[in-house]
Amino acid sequence: MHIVVCMKQVPRDNSVKINPDLSINADGIEKIINLFDEYAIEEGIIWNEKHGGKLTVLSMGTDEWVEQMRRALAMGATDSLLLKDPAFATLDTIAAAKVVAAAIRKLGDVDLILTGRNSTDDESGAFAPALARILGWPQLTYVGKVIDVNPGSKTITAERHLETVVETVTAPLPAVVSVIKDINNPRYPSLLKIKKVAKVEPPVWTAADLGVSGLVPTVTVTQRVPPPPRPSGETIDGPDAATKVKKLVDKLLENQII
Amino acid sequence: MPGVLVYVEQVDGEIAAVTRELLGKGKELAAALGGSLSAVVVGSGVGAVAQKAAAYGADTVYSVDDPRLSPYTTDGHVAAVKAAVAAAQPSLILAGASFQMRDFGAALAADLDAGLVVDAIDLKADGGAITAVRPSHGGNVINTYAFAAGRPVVALVRKQSFPEAQPGAAAGSVQALALDGAEIRTTVTSVAPKTGAVNLTDAAIIVTGGRGLGDKDNYYKLIPPLAEAFGGAYGASRAIVDAGWVPYEHQVGQTGKTVSPKLYVACGVSGAIQHLAGMRTSRNIVAINKDPEAPIFRVATFGLVGDVNEVLPLLTQELKSRLGR
Repeated sequence: MHIVVCMKQVPRDNSVKINPDLSINADGIEKIINLFDEYAIEEGIIWNEKHGGKLTVLSMGTDEWVEQMRRALAMGATDSLLLKDPAFATLDTIAAAKVVAAAIRKLGDVDLILTGRNSTDDESGAFAPALARILGWPQLTYVGKVIDVNPGSKTITAERHLETVVETVTAPLPAVVSVIKDINNPRYPSLLKIKKVAKVEPPVWTAADLGVSGLVPTVTVTQRVPPPPRPSGETIDGPDAATKVKKLVDKLLENQII
Repeated sequence: MPGVLVYVEQVDGEIAAVTRELLGKGKELAAALGGSLSAVVVGSGVGAVAQKAAAYGADTVYSVDDPRLSPYTTDGHVAAVKAAVAAAQPSLILAGASFQMRDFGAALAADLDAGLVVDAIDLKADGGAITAVRPSHGGNVINTYAFAAGRPVVALVRKQSFPEAQPGAAAGSVQALALDGAEIRTTVTSVAPKTGAVNLTDAAIIVTGGRGLGDKDNYYKLIPPLAEAFGGAYGASRAIVDAGWVPYEHQVGQTGKTVSPKLYVACGVSGAIQHLAGMRTSRNIVAINKDPEAPIFRVATFGLVGDVNEVLPLLTQELKSRLGR
């Protein structure tokens, strides 16, 4: 079977700045695979090892992304594919999903798409559902356990871990699945494997290759600002811990916080 | 009609608090857009809920009542709401921002080729144009979105963003809609409550422990009893979740839960930017840490420099005696 993992590169932390043109400036912050996507890669490897076939790691980005894609290959992905075009730089989530959907259709033989529940920078979690609907495939989001991927019956059964309940759901393949953090333990690639893929250049597909044009964002950012500063705090002082604790509880009661 | 449609979330046959907020804000936005407020109730045996929604200010409540709509499936609920969208032709569709609503809302937006905003904390309608405010990047960036004209907007709203609507006497009408020809491809075989579920996002008070507690035994000796004394829930930093002290369920931060309680008590938590991302919008923050330079103190309402091993048992005891717990 052919499993595709969609991964995004994100800054390690969100101490980003805002450029005058309102784009996000993450200069100087280390770039990593979106943490949730790393779990998707591991889950892809687990089922690829079981059923064989291809495990393609797919990303939309620039040449800067290739290093993280190589990391996914070193972990165990068999193939890679980079969607790269200046026209992709400013897409909103749904437009990005349209581009990825075009790539999935062009690949043609994909049975299962795995991705993280959201990226840790944008945090909307809209990509997986949007991709599923554009492809016309069923979706299983917030999956915390894949119980079975059955190439014979062409089904996937998984647990969706929501805030207070766990749903067990079966969907026909092909399907789109987004995963949460505690689904598995992503492996560290061995040095040998890292060396082996160090020179791999992922195939690149552009907008023209995919036949996508005239992608109109439905959302535009008109303002971006840092959050308002928190009011300055108060230090609870005292000669000993017992005095400080008593003072703290006084403050919480006085201000009707408890 | 350039109005507003609210997806009604239900909790044990009652209208969810977030929906009451959306009905209140939706009324105001519908008036600004020169349209009406409608609501859609989706499920099986939801007649009573539809009646209740009508009392919260919706001019029209669409009820899509079908055994196939419970439990939730993306296919079923998107199809049901699309029937209501076809009837009401709203310019703005509002729902909450829970995991299930994110599953639903992004799918609906893709189907309608609509504008989408997730985690909206404010919404405005000026001269027919809708704008939305949402945080991203762990709350380090506050974005204002505008939307392309001529398409609807789907806004998933973070709870506690708006005051709740109050029930009134002026009840709107309830209109039944059929779930036509919808193909539901997924089969839900069980819906089980999470064992030991901690709905941190709903807790009014959260006591969180970090690496400063030293080890797992100490965490369980100090943090849950303190949370209990406060009448709150207990959380954990990523460091100690990854170290295997505490289940992921309890993790607050960039790759865990985003919380905004009335009181957040950080104990032995240094306050890495990834942790602050998940709790910086808490209304009050108490930081207890022996390192006076710990970044957590920069966001604290009350900072107490001290050893958690000494401070926390005293605090638990003090709360018990003062609050009578």
